[in-house]
Amino acid sequence: MEPMLRAVELTKRFGGLTAVDKASMDVFPGEVVGLVGDNGAGKSTFIKMISGVYFPDGGEIYLDGKKTTYAGPADARNLGIETIYQDLALAENLDVGSNIFLGREMKTKYLGGLIHTLNRRKMQDESANVLSRLEIHIPSLTQQIRNLSGGQRQTVAIARSIYWNAKLMIMDEPTAALGVSEQRKVLTLVRTLASQNVPVIIISHNMQDVFAVADRIVVMRRGKKVGERVAAQTTPDEIVSLMVGAEAVHEMGVIPKPLSSAAKEAEA
Amino acid sequence: MTIEQDVQTPSEPVLPKKSRASNLNMVRKVWPWAFLILMVVVFTISSKVMNNVDFISVRSVQGILTYATQILLIGLAETLIIIAGGIDLSAGYMLGLAAVTGAQIMKTLFAAGANPIVTIAAGMLGGTLVCIIPGFINGWLVAKIKVPAFIATLGMGYVIYGAALVRSKGYPVAEQPPYLGAIGNGFVFYYWPGHASSFFKMPPGAIQSDLATITALVPNVVLITLLVAIVVWFVLSKTQFGQHLYAVGGNYQAALRAGIPVDKVIIKVFVTGAILCGIAGSLWSTRFTSGDANAGVTSLLMGIAAVFIGGASMFGGEGRVIGTVIGALIIGTIQYGLVVLGISPFWQYFAVGVVVIVAVIMDQFGRTLER
Repeated sequence: MEPMLRAVELTKRFGGLTAVDKASMDVFPGEVVGLVGDNGAGKSTFIKMISGVYFPDGGEIYLDGKKTTYAGPADARNLGIETIYQDLALAENLDVGSNIFLGREMKTKYLGGLIHTLNRRKMQDESANVLSRLEIHIPSLTQQIRNLSGGQRQTVAIARSIYWNAKLMIMDEPTAALGVSEQRKVLTLVRTLASQNVPVIIISHNMQDVFAVADRIVVMRRGKKVGERVAAQTTPDEIVSLMVGAEAVHEMGVIPKPLSSAAKEAEA
Repeated sequence: MTIEQDVQTPSEPVLPKKSRASNLNMVRKVWPWAFLILMVVVFTISSKVMNNVDFISVRSVQGILTYATQILLIGLAETLIIIAGGIDLSAGYMLGLAAVTGAQIMKTLFAAGANPIVTIAAGMLGGTLVCIIPGFINGWLVAKIKVPAFIATLGMGYVIYGAALVRSKGYPVAEQPPYLGAIGNGFVFYYWPGHASSFFKMPPGAIQSDLATITALVPNVVLITLLVAIVVWFVLSKTQFGQHLYAVGGNYQAALRAGIPVDKVIIKVFVTGAILCGIAGSLWSTRFTSGDANAGVTSLLMGIAAVFIGGASMFGGEGRVIGTVIGALIIGTIQYGLVVLGISPFWQYFAVGVVVIVAVIMDQFGRTLER
């Protein structure tokens, strides 16, 4: 099968520091790829090259087999690469429908286009459609975002990307600020996306999350890709030892620490 | 790999705070109405008791509305700008600039013997349009140079004030055409029992001494202000520009990332606000048949007060035209009511100040409980 995204030997340098060093990654339609690594491993920089925020100093990006360079993040978005950052970028004072259509509002024309009004009804309906397609339940679409829970906000942000034809979704720590049941909902949604043929790259510190959703796990350390595993054929221990460096674990001569605490340490 | 069955939780737990929050939201929205009604009741009773005067009459209602027009027009400008996350401290001086500019144009044309319609139109239009210049500079400073709106418009306010004072040499621009006052102090409809009624003009045959028997309805300035308010309401709640104002004020970064042309929206809102101030200034010169750099000095803060009484947020993203209308009516009622009661009009500042503080407390109270 043709990969939807091929990132080949991407390199990014900031002055003398090589943040990402010839890292490669393929993402196939319908799969979820977990991208893990310690702080400073270069995950974010790598992702930002794919989403057009940074211009790579070396390497190539192929979308659907075609070599691609983008002028900026907007360019990447137009090509269907949507990134959802932790802050979600929702206007809390507006309702669900308004946020899904933020900046791309539907309008009705009057007097031969002289006057445009917002078509709120249509935006509501379309929002309801995309939400139901993703099996998301939000009590009322006329609620302001500020009255929604963290998980519901996350789903609105995802629904927005999907509505605007995301071909590849990149999610940065999507479960970081959520309660347990909400984390599960978001992960379920990630699987729903994948089943609808939208591949997802998920960056996470939480090994449980990664194992819950990812088909494949890519591990980065000090700017390099140090491993890639099929989730079903690996263990959290193996991934963590890749993250911190296998030698380090052997030197310590101990069994790696429980994952969640190791991840927390890495975060701290 | 798929997620196990137990991972999927059933429907969302219902938020218990929701209904209480919406009740409080109701209180927040309704209290200005209640306050306005309460004030009318208080003024009605006390003016009857103290001065044996009926507070509620055609005359007093129209008086209040006329008082409120200036405040409302500035308030509408501020509503738009405050929703977008800014503020315009130069609005009152723009009103003065528009009044001075318009009056000078009309004075010149009248002296040159120009056609009355041309004279009025040129004066109104010139006064209004001249405000676009400072409005644009305000917007540009805020959007492009990232000067905080408070400071940019404070500076611009003094620049405009200075310019208007220099233009008028510090005096009101008088020697206006005699027909000017007929617009600003005229009414839409004149009802003369037993005689012919008329629109916009005194009934034919009526002389000064008949005035007592003629009922004049709907001051022209009130009608114009009402039409302007409807247009602003439409723009704010029905158009994409209005939606973008809420978005920019609510979450600037989100608006930017959603591809909203944020800079353009900010410049546009300051220019729109300036035009509204220009209209206010032009109406001022028709009411007082002159032009004065000081015309809008008190209306500025009263207008901003009306916006906050109406429930707008200091931090942007919230506010409604109807709220500002109520705010302006409350202030107008205070001003007019104190005059009717024979209390020193200086108390109006005291009273308006108290109302603003109460408004903000109500708002904060609602918000904290909502969380």
